[in-house]
Parts: sequence; C-alpha cells; structure tokens
Amino acid sequence: MTEAHAQLLVGIWPFLVPEMILAGVACIVFLGGTVRADRHLWAGVSLLGYVAALVALHLGPATTTPADPALAHAALLPVLFDPLTKLLQALGFLTGILFVLLSWNEVDDRQAADWHACLLILVAGIGLTAAANDLVVLFLALEMVSIPTYVMLYVPRENAAAQEAALKYFLLSVFSSALVVFGFSYLYGIAGQTNLTLILEALNAPETSARDIPLLATVALITIVAGLGFRLKAAPFHFYAPDVFQGGPTVMAALLAWVHKATGFVALLRVLGFVMPPHVQPREFIGVALSEQTPIVFWFLAVITMTWGNALALVQDNLKRLLAYSTVAHAGYMLITLATAPYLRHEAGAVDGVEALLYYLIAYGAMTVGAFAMLAYLSTPERPVDTIDDLAGLSRSHPALALTMAIFLFSLIGVPLTAGFTGKFLIFFGAMSVEADHAYLFWMLAFIGVVNAAIGGWYYLRLIAVMYLRQPLQPLAPRPNLPGLATLIVCVALTLGLGVPPGSTWLLRHVKGAAGAAETARELARR
Amino acid sequence: MNASALVIGLVALPFAAAIVVALLGAARAGLVRWVSLGAALGGLALAAVVTLQFTAIRGAQPPQKEAAATFAPELVPGADPKAPARTTWNIIEFGNRGAIQFYLGIDGMNIWLIVLTALLMVSAVLVSWNAIQERVNEYYAWLLALGAALSGVFLAFDIILFYVFFELTLVPLFFLIGIWGGPERRHAARKFFIFTFAGSVITLLGLLALVVVCHQKSPDRTLTFSIPELVRQVNHHLLLSAGADRAFWDATQFWVFFALFTGFAVKVPLFPVHTWLPLAHVEAPTAGSVLLAGVLLKLGSYGFLRLVLPLTPDACITYGVDVVGTLAVIGILYGALCALAQDDVKKLVAYSSISHLGFCMLGMFALNAPGLTGSLLQMINHGLSTGALFLIVGMLYERYHTRHMTDYGGIGAKLRILTLCMVVTCLSSAGLPGLNGFVGEALVLFGAFLKRPELAFIASAGILLGAWYLLSMLRQMFFGTLQEPAHEGHEVRDLDAREVCALAPLLVLFVILGVYPKPVIDTARPDLEIVAKILRNRPGMTGAPTVAQQGE
Repeated sequence: MTEAHAQLLVGIWPFLVPEMILAGVACIVFLGGTVRADRHLWAGVSLLGYVAALVALHLGPATTTPADPALAHAALLPVLFDPLTKLLQALGFLTGILFVLLSWNEVDDRQAADWHACLLILVAGIGLTAAANDLVVLFLALEMVSIPTYVMLYVPRENAAAQEAALKYFLLSVFSSALVVFGFSYLYGIAGQTNLTLILEALNAPETSARDIPLLATVALITIVAGLGFRLKAAPFHFYAPDVFQGGPTVMAALLAWVHKATGFVALLRVLGFVMPPHVQPREFIGVALSEQTPIVFWFLAVITMTWGNALALVQDNLKRLLAYSTVAHAGYMLITLATAPYLRHEAGAVDGVEALLYYLIAYGAMTVGAFAMLAYLSTPERPVDTIDDLAGLSRSHPALALTMAIFLFSLIGVPLTAGFTGKFLIFFGAMSVEADHAYLFWMLAFIGVVNAAIGGWYYLRLIAVMYLRQPLQPLAPRPNLPGLATLIVCVALTLGLGVPPGSTWLLRHVKGAAGAAETARELARR
Repeated sequence: MNASALVIGLVALPFAAAIVVALLGAARAGLVRWVSLGAALGGLALAAVVTLQFTAIRGAQPPQKEAAATFAPELVPGADPKAPARTTWNIIEFGNRGAIQFYLGIDGMNIWLIVLTALLMVSAVLVSWNAIQERVNEYYAWLLALGAALSGVFLAFDIILFYVFFELTLVPLFFLIGIWGGPERRHAARKFFIFTFAGSVITLLGLLALVVVCHQKSPDRTLTFSIPELVRQVNHHLLLSAGADRAFWDATQFWVFFALFTGFAVKVPLFPVHTWLPLAHVEAPTAGSVLLAGVLLKLGSYGFLRLVLPLTPDACITYGVDVVGTLAVIGILYGALCALAQDDVKKLVAYSSISHLGFCMLGMFALNAPGLTGSLLQMINHGLSTGALFLIVGMLYERYHTRHMTDYGGIGAKLRILTLCMVVTCLSSAGLPGLNGFVGEALVLFGAFLKRPELAFIASAGILLGAWYLLSMLRQMFFGTLQEPAHEGHEVRDLDAREVCALAPLLVLFVILGVYPKPVIDTARPDLEIVAKILRNRPGMTGAPTVAQQGE
C-alpha cells in the first residue's frame, strides 16, 4: 500500500459521514426501544437522523472530481463517490423520510423502535450500494438492505399469511444472494481482483487473458442477473412478489416495490459496467464488459417480464397482488433501457439508456409508493382495503383521495402530464433511437413495450372505473393520519411535478449528470 | 395584446376555467354553470378574434403561384424573430441536438376546426344546463378540460405535443361517459378508453420512428419534433436526395403508415375498428356525444391530413387509396345500413357518423385537391350537423326519457320549433343542395371520381341511404298522428331560449356554409395545396405500380 493510497483511505471517511450518522441513530433507536415504546418518539428521532444525513451529504466533500490528480487511485478504493452515488444517496435519504412518514402510524408502539432502526440501516445500505466499487462491499451493502427487510417483514407477524410471506421472502432472498455471490466469485476468478474498477479494466483491456474465457464471464453475467433479478422482480424471478406483497404489511410492499428494485438496478449498473468508473475506457460499448450477449439477455428478460407481469395483473382482484404484478411489469419497461443502453451511449442518440432508467426509477418510485401509501391510508383494521371492490365509490365519499389515487394510476398507465408518461416516453424513444445493424430488434422491443403499456391501461383503468363509476358498497372510514397524508402529498406532487417542465427538465438534468459523469470524466482525463 | 397570446388562450382559458369550476364545489351549481358558460363564450370570442387576425395576415400576403414547401403556421406563440413560423419554446431539450417544443400555431387547415370546437363547446355547456344535476362542478370541469385538450390537438405543430393533447382528450371523456352516461356507461367508458389508448400508443411509436429516421438519415443529423420541419425534411431532402435508398424508405414508410393508421383509424373510426363508437356515443351524456361526434372524431381524420398524408406520401399512394378508400366505402354503406336498422334514434345518429366519416376519409384518400378540400369541409359539416342532431336528440330525451323511435309519432304538431330545427338538420346531414352537407359530399365524390370512379359510384349509394334513414326517422317521429311517449304528468314544452341559443348558431351556419363556403375553402386552400403538391410529386412505392400511375 503506497502512501497516497493510505491517505485516500483516510480521506474517504468524510464521504461516509451520512451513512455513519444513520447507523449511529439506528443504534440509539435500537437501544432506546428497550426503554420506551413510543412510535411518535422513534419515528421523530429517525426523521431527524435522515435530515442530519441529508445535511451531512450536502455539506460533505464534493464528489470525486475527474480533475483530481489522485483520481486513478481513488478509483481503486472500495467505495466510489461519483455524481451517481451522490444522486442515489440523496434519493435514498429522501426515501427514508418518505417511509418514516408512511409507516408512522402503521406500526405499533411496541415495535416502532425496531422497525425504524431497521429502516435506518436499510437506508444506509442504499447509500453504500450506490457507492460500492468492490464486490465485497457491494455484496455487504446489498445484504444491509436485505437483512433489515427480513426483520421488518417478520416484526408485525399479524397472521399466518404474514409469517408465510416473511419466510418465503427470507428463503428466496438468501438463495438469490447466494447466486449473486456465486457470480461475483467468477468475476474474481477472471480478474483476480475484487475491485470493480480493476475488474472492468481487465475485461475491457484490448488484449487480455480475460477475453479468452468468455464462458466464465457469461456464467457470471447470468447468475448475477438472476440473483439481482430477484430484487428487480424480473420474471421469472418474481414469484415471491404477489404472496409477499399480499401477506406482508402494505408499507413493506411499497418498500420492496421501490427500494429493492432501485438497489438491484444500481448494482447491475455498477457490476456490468453500464456506469464505468472514471478513467476506464470501454472497449466498444458500455455494459457489454462481461459478455457481448448482455443486450440479448436483457432483451428477453424485458419482454418476458413485462408481458408476464401485465398478463397476470389482468386477472387479479386483490389490490396488493395487482400492484405486485404491476411492479413486475414496470421492471420490464426498465429492463428495456438496459437492453438499449449499450447502443445509446456513444451514438448521437438523443436519450441515454442509463438516464432513462434513472428517470423512470424515480418516477416509478413516486407513483408506486403513492399508490401503496393510499392503500395504507384508506385501510383500517375494522375496514381493510384488500380487493378492488373495496375501493368502490371512493370518489363519492373522498373526492380528493380518489383524485390522488387516479393520478397515481394514470401515471402508471402513462398518460401525459404525469411522470410516468415522460419516463415511458424516454424509454421507448431510446429503444427507437438505436442505430445498429439489428435496430429492428429494438423497434420490436419498443412495439412489445407499447402493446404492454396498452394492456396495463386495462387493469389500472379498472381501478379508476371502480373508484369513479360505482356506488360505494361499504363506505371507507380512514382515520386521520397526518404523516400518511404528508406521504400522499409528496408523492402526488412528485408524480405531477416531474412529468412536466420545469420538473421534468430539472430531473433530466440531474440524471444526465449522474449517468454521464463517467463519460465527462473520461473526456476530461483525455485533455 | 400580442395576437399569439390569444392562441395560448384557446387552450389555457378552458383549462383554467376547468380548475376554477372544479374548486367551486358541487354546492354552487348555478355559479358553476355560469362560469362554464362564460369560459365557453370567452373561448368562442377568442376563436373569432384569432380567425380575424389570421385571415387579415393571410389576406395581406401576396398570392403565391407555387404551393409552399411545408406548413407555415401563423400566430405562433414564442415565435423565433428570424423565422416567425417556428417557435423557441422548448419543453425537453436533448442536448443541443433538438428539443420537444411547445409549438402551437394557426393555419388554414386547423383554423375552422378551432372555431368548430369553440362553437360546439358553447352548445355543449348550454345543453347540459338542466340535464346534469349531480356532481355539477366535476361535470363542467371535465367538459372544459376536454375542450382545452381538443383545441390543443388542432393547434399543435410539434408531434409530441400533438400526441400529448391527443391522449389528454381520453381522460375527461372517460369520466364524462363513465359517470354521467346511460345504463351501459361503465362498459362504454372503458371500451372507449382502451380502444383509443391502444391505438394511440402505436401511433406514438410511428411518430417516434419518423423522428428517429429523419435524425439518422439527414446529413446534419437534425433531431426535430416539429411537424413542418419533418415534412420539409422528408419530402424535400431525404426522399429526393440523390443517394436516397428507395427500398429503405419504402419499408420505413410502410411501417410508419401502418402505425399511424392504427391509431387514427380507431379514432375516425374506420370500418373494422369502429365498434367502440356506437356504444360510446349512445351512452355518453348529450354534451359528451356532441363533442365526441362533432370534434373528437375529427382528431383521427385531422391526424391523417396533418401527419399521414404529408409524412408517408408513398405509402398513402400505394396502400392508402386501396386500403383506406375501400374501408371508407365499406364504412359508408355499413354505417348507413346499420343506421337504417336502428330503433334507438341516438344509435341511428351514431351509425350515421360512421357513414359520414367514411365520406371524409374517401375524399382525403382521393389524394387530390378537390378530395382534400371536400374532406376538410366534410369534417366541419359533420361536426355541425351531427352535433346538432345529438343536441336535438338530447333535448327530446330530456322531455320524454325515451329514445325509441316507435314511441314517438307526430311530435311536429306539439314541438314546432324543435321539429323545424330537426328537419333542417336532417336535410343538412342528408346533403340537400343549398345546405352545408351538400358542398362537402359533392367535392368528396368529385375528387373520388377522378381517382377511383368505382369507389365513388358505390359511395354515392351512401347518400341515398342517408336520405332514406333520416327521412324515415323524420316521418316516424315528427309527422303523422300525434303519439307522445308516456311522460309522468309533467308539461312538455317546446324549446326554450337557452336551447334555441344552443342550436341556432349551428343552423345559421348550415345555410351560410351551404350557400357561400368560399371563405372556408379559400383559407384552407394554400395549406391543402401543400399536401396535394407533395402527393402529386411522389411516385408511390417502387415495385407496386398503382392503378393511378397506370392511368396517368
């Protein structure tokens, strides 16, 4: 270890302050929970923790700049702080705030401390996943997201269905983690390194022994995609989703639908080299470091995932199951971006695949968390909201809530003026812009995508029709719940605000900055 | 005030009014109605001022011998000072390569459709005055939002903006049909939404394909979403360039044509995909039917005129005439025969719409100047006549709560003004010379005869059938011995002042357009000539010589 290297290792601690704050607050909440059982207290404390983490992120050192002479060394560290990391950290902390509000009144006083402490650890895990630049760190960060999830699914354990959900999730999640580790071990075998920069460098080098063993890299690709596919809820790795969503608490369904999907995609972006560390020069395209077949893998995965998700969502009557299949379908749309990303980065195409993915992830987060938050808000122990019929006539009894839910659903359909439309537009426009010999394959992909969007229209519209066009069977009586209402307001503001300028322009600029960071870094390094 | 601000007002005013009305609350129904009426009248006034401005601008320009290369809208908000037909307002920028723009404008093709929309909005508000009693504020909010979206589609000169407004018409109409419609309203609303949504997402793909192909093939790699710019690129650079790859362009045009056709054919509707229309028209509340038939169906034919003909000219020549022409003729006869078989008068009017829109499409795909002119006139005429028909049917239904023709008889003796209006409207719809319907249909058939005499010959049977079903309906319901449907004791009165106000402007326009359609034709001609010229210059697709080519 050189002197500079040691200095850098010391120097990265300031970058990790936000995660350390979260972990520290989590410890306080864990310990404090043994003394006092009060959901308001612990939710408030963890809220302060997230705010402190955001402040620390804002005040903290700027991202690793390409102009830094120590850049080459920085990229060898186990954590990497580029604009993408910073964006996702901020997003993670904001998600934490949103989920504290959402779960404020959904957990019992008795379990509140454990719940919020787990959430704090989980959010710290999001930040570390975003920063990870080493297979070991990445794996640990992903587990930091998974392990609190097991606890959070198990803690409420209201009934047999909830226990089954927790157990099912635990077993399958462990299995998927094993697959990921298996894939990582192959990467280590190829490059002899755990550092992602070095691995990608080795795989991208013009003449390298790594290129002579394509089979090993392909095995790594397949197992990593399969393992992370569990988090994305990509078919056929999605089977747990409907049962877990239905059995577990609504808040957990929202968490699984958004946070786990987002971390899964971020891990894919890093490991497969869709976002290159600074100064690594991709051989030809991004994202194909492991195998030339990467776009094909994602092409099929996207088609299967969105078609399967939409087809099965059509026949659901349980709201949470329906939204579970909807989350599968949306994973499919997002996978389109990974299939197209290799062809879009270096062409003069208008939209970048990674940009479109990040945009859609954020838009999807707002609308889907909003939809789940609405179910949580409406549901009471005496009058649970389980099936589609339970929403009947909502527009008569609660017009504002019905309109809010309708906005989330229209956004999930992809009706203009919502974030969902702008996101889908970017994805499909990207797929159409591919300029390659077999561009027609991506036109087909876009076509399958829009047909799926039309199918999706049918079941989302069914919910809207039930809310607006039917008489209430049994009036819903949501309890006054200020934090829950705040969650809804934030989500609906984001769903509408990010769909039209200036919100859409603002978000596009930020995701462009994050996705293009590596690109600019390379260009600056060349000068 | 800057005249281009008025163009934004055409969209912004109804939209703002919709929000205001929604916020007023259901309790203040009276205020809601008056605010809505004010907004509708304001919209009409704006449309009138814009029309005057536009005709003044066009009148001041020297007459051109040669048709322009592409559409050149006037009164563009945020116009580029150097090129007033372009805008500088970007919505989403893709680096410095290009941007989706907030590009609105007026030209000869959309000005009269804007006026039609504004006029029918007033009638729609008036006719709902007493008919809608529950959730009044929501109703008028959706109605005004629909008006805003409709104006937006016609005004848009950026294809993404066009698509956005096109999609936005679905949401208000879904609620209008679904909440305030007839007994089958839920089914009708969902079927309407899904049919048009599925069609239009495929249209979006076609539009994107066109943008992408222009981007990739143009030498300077321009990325543009502006309709005039795309028309110019495709027709004056890419297709004509020396190195143009014919096989590639043929294939591209075929697929783009197919994709655009899917969405717009559903909207028109053309024969096999028309099944949502009778259901939606019949179940919709009167104002919904009026706007649906009067304006919404025009979105499809307007889409063909604005986008399909100028952007995929070869595919239109090769496939359009055969496929669309034939489907249009089938639609004309099928719609007319179905109308003949109906007992429900609202269904009769709905099927007559399919028949009349068939004329519109037949004229358009004659691909010559008379056909295009006739087609545009037919759009406006159908909007007026069918709008009026739905208004009157709605007024009758409000009085007797039945739409079965066999329940009625000799109503003319009792409701004199209503009957007079109905007779005039039916004659206009049937194409009596001297009223508006005749001019459009005559031009359409003239254009079609030049292109395909056999299609025009078959289509002319549709006029005959039209007269048959309309006149049978008149005889059954309004003439003969008086037979009123049961109406529980309440007095049935003739049209009151409000209802006359809703109908009268339409009736006056029947006569004006029937006798003196020249202003409309004159304003539209330069722009239609652009399309006609593009089509004249194209050879059609290689390898599949058309009958038209052989004939020339």
